[in-house]
Amino acid sequence: MSLRRLITVKSVQRTLFFIFGTALSISSLGQDDMFDMLGEEEEPTVYTTATFKGSRVINLQSTEMPSAGVGQFIILHRFGAINDEPLYNFFGLDVASVRLSFDYSINDYINFGLGRSSGTKVYDGWVKAKLLRQSSGARNMPISLLYYGSVNVNTSKFNDDYDHYFSERVSYVNQVIVGKKFNESFSMELVPTVVHFNVRDTREQPNTLFGLGAGGRLKLTNRVAITADYMLQLPQKNTRLVNGVETAYNNSFSIGVDIETGGHVFQLHLTNSRAISDPNWMMNTPGNWFDGDIFFGFNISRVFTLRRPEQPEAPTF
Amino acid sequence: MKKALLTLAILGLATVQSFGQRYMTREGYIQFYSSTPMEDIEASSNQATSALDKSNGQLVFRILMRSFTFEKALMQEHFNENYVESEKFPNAQFAGTITNLSDVDFDTDGAYNVSITGKLTIHGVEKERTVNGQLHVKGEELLLETEFMVAPEDHDIEIPSVVRDNIAKEIKVTVKAKYQASGR
Repeated sequence: MSLRRLITVKSVQRTLFFIFGTALSISSLGQDDMFDMLGEEEEPTVYTTATFKGSRVINLQSTEMPSAGVGQFIILHRFGAINDEPLYNFFGLDVASVRLSFDYSINDYINFGLGRSSGTKVYDGWVKAKLLRQSSGARNMPISLLYYGSVNVNTSKFNDDYDHYFSERVSYVNQVIVGKKFNESFSMELVPTVVHFNVRDTREQPNTLFGLGAGGRLKLTNRVAITADYMLQLPQKNTRLVNGVETAYNNSFSIGVDIETGGHVFQLHLTNSRAISDPNWMMNTPGNWFDGDIFFGFNISRVFTLRRPEQPEAPTF
Repeated sequence: MKKALLTLAILGLATVQSFGQRYMTREGYIQFYSSTPMEDIEASSNQATSALDKSNGQLVFRILMRSFTFEKALMQEHFNENYVESEKFPNAQFAGTITNLSDVDFDTDGAYNVSITGKLTIHGVEKERTVNGQLHVKGEELLLETEFMVAPEDHDIEIPSVVRDNIAKEIKVTVKAKYQASGR
């Protein structure tokens, strides 16, 4: 049989098809094989980001802080009560209490800052430290754990003729923040709190008060979230005199909306705490939601990159 | 029967051929750059893994999206959270072939222009791409350099209207990978 007769058009087609098909299968085989060669990268530890949008849920400190080398300026505003001569005071807009604060993260674990709040004219300094970061992958950590501590100095005048020590103006806050991002849209935290006042109004009041804070966030879209926080007073004597009658302070409750636009986070909220400084909103909230002691407020934060993260270099030949 | 043997032979040949022909890196450099009148955004990573087979020109790349470092930490957070959704799509990858392999002489040091065709997958969306690059040969090392444009919308990456003017319609991607022989 001569070779020429063997090579029919059909057989050529078949052969070509066959070779081509085989080549194709080899090439895709080769690529899978090459991806195998890269190895299933051992899953690196992925740290959970953006458990909350801001470094405060509303009043309560959140699990967040600016990244290393980033500074943050926050303006916090609480207007007057909406039940206090609403029209005359234009729903509280005429009587605002304000807080300014600046903080800086020296690395990804430690953030410290300074602030001043109106009201009792409190200056404060704080430090916030990440002890555990929620992560998945190689290192699995179900929660974030932080410490927050602040020293607060009340600088409003004493309305009496006695001499006062500086130490009487000082109060301290210590908190442990335990937070968890349950999924893309829902996060929560619990914040055991200890507040110590060097001096109280009356002898019967304990200097050290305990609270349990809780905060939560529910994302509606990638840039809008609903937030709430609460500070539960543990059973203790924490009262003030109202017309000579001892009246307990209320638990602070706030609910709001977070709106993120690039470098800013806008937080709009309603709260029964008019004071913004730590010890005052946590333990000295006279306002009651059910009596309409509701204050409208907002926080605006802006971050500044003061130290740029190091970026990798391209290889050269 | 003959065909089966032939197939085996070809397959066998392919595997034999590719033995010792493969180059690899775990430190591939990938940078992307978005430039608009509003702002320039630049991010880079040197954690791309890649393999190149000089017997057939096959080339694969894989990179963890979270490994990109930005100038601003907040940008990085937004990139992973809102744009490329790294939670759902942790990797980007490329699988392709150098189509003009015959132009490259692996035994002679020098720079060779190459054309690479394959599939680019970002944000879970696959796109057929052909890009041009340069392959530098220096002894037992190879350096591949390429630059190409990627449109976020090609990969279903949503840019909200608030920042539409801050992010370029086409983003320049630069790849530089230096390979060592892998012994496979």
